[in-house]
Amino acid sequence: MQDAAGTAGARVSSEVDSLVRAAQRGDQDAFERLVRAYDQGVLRLAMNLLRSPEDARDVYQEAFLRVYRNLHAFRFDCSFHTWLYRIVTNICLDQLRKRKVRKEEPAVVETSEGAMDRTEGFEEESADANPERVTWSRQLGRRIGDALEELTPRERMVFELRHYEGLRLRNIGEILGTSEEAAKNCFFRATQKMRTLLGDLV
Amino acid sequence: MTCDAVRNLIPLYYYGELTPEEEDQTEAHIHECAACAADMKQARALAAALDRRRMEALPSLLVECRADLSAAVRGASAGPAWKLWLEAAGATFAGFHRWRQPLGAAACLVIGFFAARFVPAGSGASTASLTPSEGVFVNVRSALPDSSGGVRIAYDETQRHEISGTVNDPEIRKLLLAAAHEEDDPGVRVESVGLLKDHAASNEVREALMNALLHDSNPGVRLKAIEGLKPLSAEAPVRGALSQALEYDDNEAVRMQAVDLLTMSPDDATVGILQNLVQREDNGYVRSKCAKALKEMNASIGTF
Repeated sequence: MQDAAGTAGARVSSEVDSLVRAAQRGDQDAFERLVRAYDQGVLRLAMNLLRSPEDARDVYQEAFLRVYRNLHAFRFDCSFHTWLYRIVTNICLDQLRKRKVRKEEPAVVETSEGAMDRTEGFEEESADANPERVTWSRQLGRRIGDALEELTPRERMVFELRHYEGLRLRNIGEILGTSEEAAKNCFFRATQKMRTLLGDLV
Repeated sequence: MTCDAVRNLIPLYYYGELTPEEEDQTEAHIHECAACAADMKQARALAAALDRRRMEALPSLLVECRADLSAAVRGASAGPAWKLWLEAAGATFAGFHRWRQPLGAAACLVIGFFAARFVPAGSGASTASLTPSEGVFVNVRSALPDSSGGVRIAYDETQRHEISGTVNDPEIRKLLLAAAHEEDDPGVRVESVGLLKDHAASNEVREALMNALLHDSNPGVRLKAIEGLKPLSAEAPVRGALSQALEYDDNEAVRMQAVDLLTMSPDDATVGILQNLVQREDNGYVRSKCAKALKEMNASIGTF
């Protein structure tokens, strides 16, 4: 089973490498396939971190344009996924830091109810849902949002990549240019803060 | 293992990030210790609660992002043929750093020129520092044999410079305004408008943002511009630009942003547009915002 998974992983990796090489030679179609292989994950990460479709869209555009411009310099020293996520996490961290400096409201919804419709990530609340449950669900959502805002941008990033994206801490360390141990410590601090802030809810 | 040590390991245990030895020890302790078992239960409950906040990127947003990127990449790759050749040559020479950059200098060597010289910094008295970088790009206009048996070549030379400073530096501001308006590459226009958008209090920046919103062919640039105009959405000229975008922009994300800003403080001047859009707008969100704003203003939904 493990062998099969390993073989499948190697095959995917080799397919990605082929696409990267073709895109490096100027094959636009290969570049587009490369984008499509990864862009849902990139957009999801940006949406979860920034909670704003507009900001997520900016991250998407900037990240893939950087990839397009710098792909010729990619030397396969790491996986394409790691290289891409280095770019994406750098852009997202910049955004998160700017927000911290500006002390912006957490952008659960950026502009209006409409944007909220577009970003709504919580459980579907139908008209006949139990009102108490709906209220509790909203409160929980707000509390979680507030708690996540209390994390430093780096803690937030590590937590997001581990909890929501399911990446291993070793890989996260590689993406963020640090050791597995440092990523582990960062993740530990994040979970401790979350427990302190949300412990009474669960 | 003590309870304190186990409690510290519980988050990593839950996420499967412990070594096999640590995992065995933690597991054994949790089985025997009610307090640590309760901690483990809490970690699970917290993770489940956090899962409820997970968001998936909406397909419509993904489609818009792909369209923006595709337009930007098409723009970036539609440069003149010589530029593409230089880029290809750059990739070919990538392993040979001394040849790799500046590519134009390599081209000059090939044709027997040593023309890589830099143009002195401009005379602007800004605090920005202007330093020439190594990039030189050459466009050969003609290559003809001359009467003495040699070759006569006419060429244009473009020197790449780098300038750094804040958006408030006049030189930087001037370059960003020019890039936002004239640059062929939509990616550069997006970046330029993105940098300018927090400075919309300045008249020239506001004008540039309004111009980008109304005339830029790239929706990514228009969305950046609209973001910058947000704090000024009560001003008449900005409202005029937003109204035009709402009526005529073919990108629904731009129209959604425009309707948001216009209906934040609806006024009589927008009633006609809103009534019109309630009837003909394809996007449900824009329609509902228009209808809601009209209702709040006690205006009729339809035109008569």
